[in-house]
Amino acid sequence: MNTQLKVSKISKIYPGCIANDKVSLEFESGKIYALLGENGAGKSTLVKILSGVVKPDEGKVFLNNESIKLNSPLDAKKNNIGMVFQHFNLFETLSVFENLSIDSDKKDEDLRVLVNDILKKYNFKIDLDIPVLNLSAGQKQKVEIIRCLIRNPKVLIMDEPTSVLTEQETDDLFISLKQFSKDGILIIYITHKLKEVLSLCDEVAVMRKGKVVSVSNTIDEKIESLANKMVGENLNTIKKKINNFKNSEEILKISNLNFKSDDPYETNLNNLNLSLKKGECLGIAGISGNGQNELFQILSGEIITEGTSIMFRNKEIGKLNPRERREYLMAFSPEDRISQAAVPELKIYENVALNNFKSSNFFEKGLVNEKKIKEHSKKILSNFSVNTDNVELKSQFLSGGNLQKLIIGRELITSPELLVCFNPTWGLDVGAINYIHETLIQINEQGKSSILISTDNDELLKLSDRICVIYKGKLSKIMNADTVTAEKLGILMGGGSID
Amino acid sequence: MIKIEKRNDLSRSIYFLTPILAIFLTLIGGGIIFYILGFNPIEALKFFFITPISDLYGLSELLVKATPLCLIAIGLSFCFKSNNWNIGAEGQLIFGGIVGGGVALLFYNHDGFYILPIIILSGAIGGMLFAMIPAILKTYFNTNEILVSLMLVYVAKLLLDYLVVGPWSNPEGFNFPETRQFSESARMPILFDGLRIHAGIFITLITVFLSWLILYKTYLGFQIKVSGLSLKTAKYAGFKGKTMIIIVFMISGACAGLAGVGEITGPIGQLHRNISPDYGFTAIIVAFLGRLNPVGIIFASLIVALTYLGAETAQIFLQVPKYTGQVFQGMILFFLLGSDYLLFFKIKFLGLKKNEH
Repeated sequence: MNTQLKVSKISKIYPGCIANDKVSLEFESGKIYALLGENGAGKSTLVKILSGVVKPDEGKVFLNNESIKLNSPLDAKKNNIGMVFQHFNLFETLSVFENLSIDSDKKDEDLRVLVNDILKKYNFKIDLDIPVLNLSAGQKQKVEIIRCLIRNPKVLIMDEPTSVLTEQETDDLFISLKQFSKDGILIIYITHKLKEVLSLCDEVAVMRKGKVVSVSNTIDEKIESLANKMVGENLNTIKKKINNFKNSEEILKISNLNFKSDDPYETNLNNLNLSLKKGECLGIAGISGNGQNELFQILSGEIITEGTSIMFRNKEIGKLNPRERREYLMAFSPEDRISQAAVPELKIYENVALNNFKSSNFFEKGLVNEKKIKEHSKKILSNFSVNTDNVELKSQFLSGGNLQKLIIGRELITSPELLVCFNPTWGLDVGAINYIHETLIQINEQGKSSILISTDNDELLKLSDRICVIYKGKLSKIMNADTVTAEKLGILMGGGSID
Repeated sequence: MIKIEKRNDLSRSIYFLTPILAIFLTLIGGGIIFYILGFNPIEALKFFFITPISDLYGLSELLVKATPLCLIAIGLSFCFKSNNWNIGAEGQLIFGGIVGGGVALLFYNHDGFYILPIIILSGAIGGMLFAMIPAILKTYFNTNEILVSLMLVYVAKLLLDYLVVGPWSNPEGFNFPETRQFSESARMPILFDGLRIHAGIFITLITVFLSWLILYKTYLGFQIKVSGLSLKTAKYAGFKGKTMIIIVFMISGACAGLAGVGEITGPIGQLHRNISPDYGFTAIIVAFLGRLNPVGIIFASLIVALTYLGAETAQIFLQVPKYTGQVFQGMILFFLLGSDYLLFFKIKFLGLKKNEH
């Protein structure tokens, strides 16, 4: 039997952010649908609405032309909408079968027969009686899928399913999904990976900033066209003056750096190599979640690596923690300005004291030198035009732009040789963005270097001297910024290749 | 529909006023309970909260009880401020008592001014070492410090049980589960004749001052504060997280150990099965009632100490079980958490929203 799913004018507004803006889409069984978009484009919100986790502010969902109410995940189950989340919901210490029987109302014997049928039909090889913790990520995902299949779903939604899978497991998954589709299950596949869309899906809907910007057949699309739709076609070509750094001194060199995380939701970094010259800005583009976080932490010293893998001004710094790296005149501005770069509950001067190293003398013989910290803070507030002169103010009362100015100011007032920043203008208003951009260009002009990890391509093209793209923990070739276009970046960001 | 929102304007005075509100609500709640039990609530509360401290002896008893509570709570504030949940102060107290008591027994027939300081120091070290177990397990094996520290309480209790019944029991004690009486040199000096208040109160006051100094004026205190608010920030700033976890547990354990040794060398004078009426657990309430602030904790310890005394008076005059004291302690924590919730969040009544269009 055919299944039709329709969402009509769905809107969901969170404070300060429109997650879904009158989203209307139609799906029909027999096809695999891709929902494509960058992080924050609104895909996950839509999926949560379809699975009953989030209630929309406006709009309706129709299943086979009947309006359905999805007030809870239970309602989604009742309507035969199955969902496999990116993060697994399994009890690690229970066996596979116990995990399956927990939320099933069938008798154990019947359930076992049913599960065995499913295993045979789709050629899944999983031992039902071993604890889930012994399974690989791909197998765990299969358990989640079986859990949905037990209920004879009409609709199966997969949320970024390949983020924790190996290539082989991804191939297996695609074979299974195609088979489900043939068996009449309507499949909605959420991703930001362009290649996967082209190899798996029949139709693709692209979301950007909460809106559906395009719906098309994948046959008519190429990686480039999807990339443009996903990141926006705004080809902003204002660039800073490109300099030639051939004869400049090399300040940072990373060679053959690998990072393997114990956490399956983190990205492993493979064989990173990069070098940076004095006065240069290296831009690192990529869709978030491709290893930028890990790369930032490796640069800042939050993740410690082998000493020799990172050379900064001819010193091995891989083993040093962030505070020790600051002694060597490195500075860091993390992505999360509200809960990492600064603490909202702390006063401005206390947040300034976070950038502490021996020569700052903020703490002498273990005691706080409040006077010194406050003087220093005042200087930052005035030099970086932060909209207050009260160092006793709690930083939660600063606007995003002022907070970011404070952070950048705190990092730069020590005249570091290298500033590493990660999405420095994320969520700021135009005025603040311009100020930060000017500041970043200025430090390059003063002969200081910077690494800009950003998901904003306009920003990267505007500020970088050289650009590379990070995808699945690997860096692309490093290109001179004047040879790079937004289109090229889009292709590399989606996992394509250019010559 | 009801919507719960986080408040973003939080005034400092309200932050310190809610504990007083909680105490007020506890009095009302207690009054209701006494009323249901058939007592005149005003009379009963008077027996509970006023009678115990209406004479000099009562006031001294209040300080005797508040001394260990305050000391332990001060130590716990280091842990709690840095997001380390040490629930096992009772165990650290007992273990400090065991070590201090063991040393006191070694000197049972000696005299000398040096004996008491050695005992006190060994008790503090005992508590400190015992607290390092959950800290080390947490930092190197990722165990949950709540569980480990809590379970170790029972280890310490059973160890004390074994010692006072077995190897350390008083050879002339007719098999009572208790050790010898400590020698005079092993006892805390009594401050006033006829009252039980002892020199341990000075240890507490010195500790309060030192911890204020550490928490607000040192780099260590700054690190503790930042880690408590945001571990991500602490990591980004390059603080040595593991070392700090161990340090706060050491401070907290040493305080609890001191409290234990203060009890056995102060009012008790020997080791037996019940050297602490759950001071280690009650101190958790004290720490939060005092807002993890050294001065706040002084006041909180006095109030909670009063519930111990009140329970005893109520047992005598009203024939209610002394566990009423725990009911009151429970109510204080309950109302404190309740009013905290309203402090940090506000509830909005939106009326029914129409979903149909």
